[in-house]
Amino acid sequence: MVRGDTVRKRLQVLENRVRKTISPDVSLRKWHSSIILEGTVSTWDQLYDAGKMCANQGYKGVVNKLKVKGLEILKIKKPQLADDFLQGKQVDVLVIGGGIIGCAIARELAKWQLSILLVEKEEDVAMHASSRNDGMIHPGIEPKIGSKKAIFNVKGNEMYTRVARELDVKLIRCGSSVLFDSPLLKLVKPVLDIRANKMGVKGISLLSREEALQKEPNIGVPIAGAVHFATTGIISPYKMTVAYAENAVQNGAEVSLNTVVLSMTKEHGRITSVKTNRGTVYPKVVINAAGTFADIIADMAGDQFFSIHPRKGEILFLDKKKGELINGVIGKPSLTQTKSNTKGGGVVKTVDGNVLVGPDAYEQPFREDFSTNMNNIEAIMQKHLPLIRGFSPADVIAYCAGIRACTYEEDFIIERSEYVDNLVYAAGIQSPGLASAPAIAAEIERITCKVLSEVMDVKPKQNWNPIRKGIPELSSMDFESRSKIIKENPHYGEIVCRCEGISKGEIIAAIHSPIPVTSVDAIKRRVRAGMGRCQGGFCLPTVMTIINEETGIPMTSITKKGNDSNIVVAETKQNPTTGGEGVE
Amino acid sequence: MNEYDVVVLGGGPAGLAAALASFNEGMNTLIIERENRLGGILKQCIHDGFGLIKFKEKLTGPEYAQRYIEQVLACQIPVLLNTFVLTVEKAGTGFVITLVNAAQGVEQIKTRSLILATGCRERTAKQVFINGTRPAGVFTAGTAQHLVNIEGYLPGKKCVILGSGDIGLIMARRLTLEGAQVLAVYEAKSTPSGLSRNIVQCLNDFHIPLHLSTTITRVFGDNRVEAVEIARVDENMRPIKGTEQVISCDTVILSVGLIPENEIADMLGVEIDAATKGPVVDQNFMTSVEGVFSCGNALHVNDLVDYVSESGEIAGANAAQYVREATPRQLAEIKMSPDFLYVVPQQININSSNRKAVLYFRSREVRENMRVTIKSGDQVLLSKRYVILRPPEMERVRLVIKDGLASNQIEITMEPVKNKEMAL
Repeated sequence: MVRGDTVRKRLQVLENRVRKTISPDVSLRKWHSSIILEGTVSTWDQLYDAGKMCANQGYKGVVNKLKVKGLEILKIKKPQLADDFLQGKQVDVLVIGGGIIGCAIARELAKWQLSILLVEKEEDVAMHASSRNDGMIHPGIEPKIGSKKAIFNVKGNEMYTRVARELDVKLIRCGSSVLFDSPLLKLVKPVLDIRANKMGVKGISLLSREEALQKEPNIGVPIAGAVHFATTGIISPYKMTVAYAENAVQNGAEVSLNTVVLSMTKEHGRITSVKTNRGTVYPKVVINAAGTFADIIADMAGDQFFSIHPRKGEILFLDKKKGELINGVIGKPSLTQTKSNTKGGGVVKTVDGNVLVGPDAYEQPFREDFSTNMNNIEAIMQKHLPLIRGFSPADVIAYCAGIRACTYEEDFIIERSEYVDNLVYAAGIQSPGLASAPAIAAEIERITCKVLSEVMDVKPKQNWNPIRKGIPELSSMDFESRSKIIKENPHYGEIVCRCEGISKGEIIAAIHSPIPVTSVDAIKRRVRAGMGRCQGGFCLPTVMTIINEETGIPMTSITKKGNDSNIVVAETKQNPTTGGEGVE
Repeated sequence: MNEYDVVVLGGGPAGLAAALASFNEGMNTLIIERENRLGGILKQCIHDGFGLIKFKEKLTGPEYAQRYIEQVLACQIPVLLNTFVLTVEKAGTGFVITLVNAAQGVEQIKTRSLILATGCRERTAKQVFINGTRPAGVFTAGTAQHLVNIEGYLPGKKCVILGSGDIGLIMARRLTLEGAQVLAVYEAKSTPSGLSRNIVQCLNDFHIPLHLSTTITRVFGDNRVEAVEIARVDENMRPIKGTEQVISCDTVILSVGLIPENEIADMLGVEIDAATKGPVVDQNFMTSVEGVFSCGNALHVNDLVDYVSESGEIAGANAAQYVREATPRQLAEIKMSPDFLYVVPQQININSSNRKAVLYFRSREVRENMRVTIKSGDQVLLSKRYVILRPPEMERVRLVIKDGLASNQIEITMEPVKNKEMAL
């Protein structure tokens, strides 16, 4: 009784604090071991601040059910498709979410004799955070010591060498340089070494000004030196996700795109069925890898013990021409996790030779608003372009926005549900989620096998093949091998995308890849057609024609990115091939 | 390894003219074209108005191109279609070109001289910093033109156009004729970017409004464009707060400028003019790298194809001259006053036997009653009066380079015509 009183008292103190600083209309209550916030506030910042005040106060999670006066929270964007394709399907494992986490989990689980279904609401995998990040494989020094972020990042970083090789994805261990302008910061090194030792981060060295400039000769800001992290790598995050998904499919997993989870039924503390827009599925285990929607999925299972607050960031890309000005990742942030929970962004040379600039980070209410804003784009340019001599706004060829799936605790949730027996979480995965993905997947594999072993025999698959071959990248081949492959398939000799030098053969290979794709953007993500400086101005009509030839999809039905993102709307009055009717 | 005297990169109007000129000078000439047909961008320019200067006739783009293509075929100049240049390297007195195509795979050829006739590309939405979402329905004008005129499909039904460049204006008319609704053309600058004749024939004749000092700031729509936000801009082209307006539409067409394509020039270390974004050349259109020539829209963005062909002819003839006899150059810079946007060529080779230079220039601003003077020291090489000079309309003059120039520097300036002079 005394103990219960203390708990109630503690809650009361916290509630008073929130009411005093944020708004008197907020009330707190305990649910299982989490804390729920209810009531109304007047701004999104207040909602966020209230959630933050309750985080890490001895509760498992913060469930923020506050409402903001006058703010309409957009509903999850659903695919237009509706059919019975999955109706009645019984599977051992249902993975919800086709980001890098979901796809990596599917791939690891595919080594067991299990039926696996991965559902993704978008028209392709890697459509949210997994294609909207800087592609950095962080060394793992930034997270809080002992956090899941720290553990999985360091482990994931190490695992990438093997996984990237197995899945035929280009990984470059380019290293990162964190610049500092005060000579006093050299004193940080011993502290950093102790930290690195505790965390298991290797390859940290202190560079003098001269050494730093030798590594990165075009640094355009005054520096006193740099800390160099040799284990930092870069990768194409969406190609990695596609590779994971394809290898899962090759090993028998099923990927259902344009598939959104609508609701769940539960019996005796277990999920029994999951309703989607393509029918109801009956899984033995459900894995929640739903990114920014993970809390909503948890709620469907009656198990919401955390909330996701969408933290948006914008990044921009510079012309490849400027890629030669840098050799790796360069940043000028603080060395430890700061209050703002961002690593401050920087400049990154991508695996394809472009320069990525950013990201920034800011809290906002929308989970899938990927629009960019002039002020943010300009601020990123102002902040980061001066880092390197020779970068200018005229070099920008593209920019985009991404949303991080953050919990108020700011750590990953990688565990079996405490209250739903057959629900496993890989949630709250924000930066360094990409770097941690292989390690997270391995852990979820372990947990899932354990959960399943309670209801069935889990046996290894004899013919599991960890090796996946990607689409040949003609532009990076030596001339001899390139000639050879063109002799075998002349389509590889027809260049369609002039900026990136992408051939018709590569585009055809993407269309017929293990997860077949038919949209222009999905092809772009796989083979880079349209990703160069003209942004598809020249190759768009040709790519459309190839899709049409290979799949029979009429030109007017070809989309940029699924749903009704059709590129052309009608035939002209005298279409040369169809003698079309034009616009009514 | 096949060897040529002159290799022309690009089979558009500049490349065709260059190849013909080089061939007519007796050179073993090759054309390399990336696409499956010769003609370049003219293939999709089905409107008329081409060739008024060259042929004193109003031709469509394909008709204009065909005149050159037929000559190229008649001369049996070898053409490699569907062929993409991977690298060009300097080797001895010439260049080694590595190319790829379906028939040969990767192949290398050798040439004494190289003509870059690679054309230009369009600036994109991101390059003019349009924000918002990234739905389908945002096209550069050239892509829209390709879809309509080559593929036979309409990119949208309710369009807005950003930028009053010529292709944008042409597309405003073309889309209207195809039954699409063109709501308006927005131009961030305070004056139109396209030719006056296109403003009249493509907008005014079809009652399409042109809004100057107005730009598109945001695009809305998840899948397909649903609307745009437009705003007035100040003299620094910054959107003015409070002037935003949302216009519902399904298509955004961009005609916001062209950029010469000079990736191969970069590969060779050719010096690029910051104003034209094309190579710095002498009156023979030879770049800073001996033996490498540039012409057409790769050299600077033209508004009339007739001048594109002319620059090709000059480059072709002089590439031939270079192959016959490469003499050391003595370059005099043409220094322009800030009144000019650019001048091409940027240099004169005083040692060259070519004494009749063709100069192209654009005024930085709209100027009326101006006198343009080209001087070398005190020696006036040319003096010409203009009733009006407009940035969108390129001017061309012929400059006779007399022997023994007074100075190693040539200056081009402009000044208002004096009242007295006007009265005369």
